[in-house]
Amino acid sequence: MAEFVKYVDVTKCDGCKACMVACKNWNDLPAEVTEFQGSVQSHPKTSADTWNVLQYIEHENGKGDLEYLFRHSSCMHCKEAACEKVCPENAISYSKFGSVVIDQDKCVGCGYCVENCPFEVISLKTYKDKNGKEYRKSQKCTMCTDRLEEGLQPACVTTCHTDAMQFGQKEAMLEKAENRLSEIKSRFPNANIYNPQGVGGTHTIYVLAEKPSVYGLPESPKVPTSAVLWKDYAQPIGKAMIGATTMAVVGAFITNSIMSKRKNNHDEDGGGSHE
Amino acid sequence: MSKQPKSTAKVRRFSKGFVLAHAVNAISFFALYITALPMYTEFFDWLYPILGGPEGARLLHRIFAVAFVSPTFIWIIFDYKGFKVWLKELVTWKKRDLQFFTEFVKELFGFNFKHIRQSFFNAGEKINSLIQIFTAILIIGSGFPMWFPQFFPRAVVQWGYFFHNVGFGLAIAVIVGHIYLSVVHKSSRPGYSGVVTGEVPAWWAKDHYPDWYDEEVKKGNFPNLDDPKHKKNKGA
Repeated sequence: MAEFVKYVDVTKCDGCKACMVACKNWNDLPAEVTEFQGSVQSHPKTSADTWNVLQYIEHENGKGDLEYLFRHSSCMHCKEAACEKVCPENAISYSKFGSVVIDQDKCVGCGYCVENCPFEVISLKTYKDKNGKEYRKSQKCTMCTDRLEEGLQPACVTTCHTDAMQFGQKEAMLEKAENRLSEIKSRFPNANIYNPQGVGGTHTIYVLAEKPSVYGLPESPKVPTSAVLWKDYAQPIGKAMIGATTMAVVGAFITNSIMSKRKNNHDEDGGGSHE
Repeated sequence: MSKQPKSTAKVRRFSKGFVLAHAVNAISFFALYITALPMYTEFFDWLYPILGGPEGARLLHRIFAVAFVSPTFIWIIFDYKGFKVWLKELVTWKKRDLQFFTEFVKELFGFNFKHIRQSFFNAGEKINSLIQIFTAILIIGSGFPMWFPQFFPRAVVQWGYFFHNVGFGLAIAVIVGHIYLSVVHKSSRPGYSGVVTGEVPAWWAKDHYPDWYDEEVKKGNFPNLDDPKHKKNKGA
């Protein structure tokens, strides 16, 4: 199946927050009361109950002008997702659309994904079962994979009234991004397409007006080296090592039995034990 | 191998403090291993219901983590002398320690071998100790940022997962051999009582740790097993 991408052109965003509301609405997420952030921004960052946050950034552009920058921020849906790599329960997987989804039945709430996400997008939510016992599950944007399966588009995209967000096949969206970039370069010389290759590219691509760091995005995110060494080397080697030592002691047990049988045959009338 | 009936005499090898420290170490290690096993491989996910779900497993893992940190302190508090002997032995390496390993391989697979004279700990036990010290530092050191990620930089927590994995992967591989030698292997298993009661058969101690045994005989602590047969050799 073709890869699908959410295209976000921040230069067309007018900061209306309809995407936030649509997300809460479709995904049935409870409201999250927060302290005043010092700007129109409602939440400091994405959380377990707020899967997308509209950023409001007051940026001095170096020419003495103040730019009021907006960005719809949510899960990037990396092609090589660190969360998927470190999940010990295989609860995180790639859907056929390219989105990264969490299987809530498999999630044990360990938080490895939370600590390893290069974009710090995933959060744990604490629930209470009917006996009052607490348990945790990982939560983040699903790219509305349930909607995609019904032939619909993500709720945030559908609701966007300026067409700052669009959803479609990867090639078409990348082409759109390139075209838009050439249109805005004169106004935003630092403009760039954010589709970081350190995580294999993402299924949410941005046309940013300023450098990624201005938006609080990592300039060159990647799957943490520690996660690669841990999951691709330490874990398989560890499993092989316990196998190897187990085989060694089983082998030792067998040769010992054979050897002591031979010795017993030699001194049958020795009578004594060899202990 | 000798055909004479073995003496039933026992000698004290480890103090009660060491026995306690060793037991706490062993029990907490396995409890930690089992409570984390479903996180290591999904094959053991059936352990979750037994451990009280992922939350129960996490709680137990943290309780035993605290226990796992304690053996060093137990040993130091109740048997500082024994602890010092151990440290001293760990840094003492002689040519005979290398010879020990070639003989050990023969011994392990049941071939004829000769005992290389060893002091209180043999070279194999010293290697085991050094690996367990190293892995315990890795496991405990990385456990803190994993338990309390809010107090550590993200990169430290991420590397913590890696070192935790390396630490217990190495530790469990070595422990398989350690347990085999102590409870299954014919030539070494008589020493098992050393970590339960603290006492081991005198003949076994003399065979395996002749330097230590002779020293204790000289001090008058241990019976001289050669005595009944060679009365005229009776020393001092």
